[in-house]
Amino acid sequence: MRADLEEVFRSAYPRVVAVAARVLGSRDEAEDVAQEVFLTFGRSAVPAGEAVGWLSVAAAHTALNHLRSSRRRAAREEAAGDDGAVWPDVADTVVTLEERRRVRSALARLPRKHAVALVLRHSGLSYAEVAAALDLSPGSVGTTVRRAESALRKELNRHASSD
Amino acid sequence: MRHPTDGTLRRLLDEPAGVADADREHVSGCPACRAGLATAERDAQLTRAALDVDVTVDVDAGWSRLSQAVAADQPRRRPVAASRWRTALRKPVVAAFAAVALLGGASAAAAADWLEIFRTEQLAPVTLSQADLVALPDLDAYGKVEITQEVKVRQVADADAAEKASGLAVPRVRELPRGVTGQPAYQVGGRVNAVFTFSADKAARTAAATGRTLPPPPAGLDGSQFRLSAGPGVAGVWSEARGVPALIVARVVAPTAYSAGIPFRTAVDYLLSLPGVPENIKAQLRGYTGDATTLPLPVNSQYLTSSATEVGGTPATVLASRDGLITAVVWVKDGVVTAVAGSLSADEVVSVARGLGQR
Repeated sequence: MRADLEEVFRSAYPRVVAVAARVLGSRDEAEDVAQEVFLTFGRSAVPAGEAVGWLSVAAAHTALNHLRSSRRRAAREEAAGDDGAVWPDVADTVVTLEERRRVRSALARLPRKHAVALVLRHSGLSYAEVAAALDLSPGSVGTTVRRAESALRKELNRHASSD
Repeated sequence: MRHPTDGTLRRLLDEPAGVADADREHVSGCPACRAGLATAERDAQLTRAALDVDVTVDVDAGWSRLSQAVAADQPRRRPVAASRWRTALRKPVVAAFAAVALLGGASAAAAADWLEIFRTEQLAPVTLSQADLVALPDLDAYGKVEITQEVKVRQVADADAAEKASGLAVPRVRELPRGVTGQPAYQVGGRVNAVFTFSADKAARTAAATGRTLPPPPAGLDGSQFRLSAGPGVAGVWSEARGVPALIVARVVAPTAYSAGIPFRTAVDYLLSLPGVPENIKAQLRGYTGDATTLPLPVNSQYLTSSATEVGGTPATVLASRDGLITAVVWVKDGVVTAVAGSLSADEVVSVARGLGQR
């Protein structure tokens, strides 16, 4: 394990959990993802200066992967009539559980890069940071985020109207 | 002037200072752009609300948990059955990818990388992280390593996309072993390049740290540069719950090393002669370095057993964990390494390997 793990952890953990939580909508699952990501980081040789960007991208990807597997799990559970056990720990004061579920499923349908850019931007990374983390030009971050937001809105509307 | 792009309008909402003055002035006087800006703002607000989560975390508790996970990685201190299982499951996978770094017959990668990874393996279970898919060795103990091209591993939608992105023929599994179901997730890693500059001084300090004396380096080795290259690679991963791989089929372009100065083999031979490398492993490596199609796998018999087989007429190595939980088969053909690994029996991985077809 790298020597600077604790230092990086203490400064970046809230950010990494926040990134994963935006994807998963659940703090508990987000903390699981953050632990996984920090373990991998601990074994890596990622330069300390790039740690936050690396961790944020890793958290977004890992969370999106979990989202896919939990969607499959959700599908199985729904098929088994065990609905409601899917996101038991959603701390939600803004939108309803059903809306949250729509958000997750809409996120999962976005192109991966768009979803990651969207989540990173809304987690407070600057355009320059998102650009560096995703190897985009700073100019194209706005375009990517804009497209992702537009697609997300359409997905949400589509599902809202189809229910 | 032309209207600024949607992307520029979007940035205007977040970072107006990042937008050119001319664009800002245009937007303020252009009804179409102001309408576009309003739409962008509405979508941004909707997204913000949709993604908003109130997350307060306990950093101390988080660190305590991570510390325990790190500690639990140590050998003989793995009390949690589930984590041990996961650890075991991933070992041959790591072995397979470590093997990748050993190929190409003569990579300085060889000795150091394998040993490094294997040592890590004993101390900490290595997950199949992105870096493992296409990895270059950590030769920091022997000089300076500069990554000139970082590996970028990403998930792609399907086998076609994986093939297109990697330029490698994605192996098709004709028949999945019993218990493995569903569609694989495909990951693709690009090429990774690094320049390794050998430093006699650093190597001497590494040796000194273990109480040994460095044998004198061959003339010209100190300061010599070697370019190491690996990838691209592609992996299909069939997962069980929580992303634990049930079956992995991976293919990576074998690492190669280039030298402008003294022959790379000289450097490898020297690295092999360094103190701290167990005799049996040295012997195995020496025995193999002449043949790029054979796998120089120094197997730690405490964890793994290895046996020889063949896949389509090519010699292959089967690695199995002693606890019987996981198995991998690895072979090299035409400079491409292919590995099949999973929580399966040796017969099953070999059967998958032999049944692989081209798409």
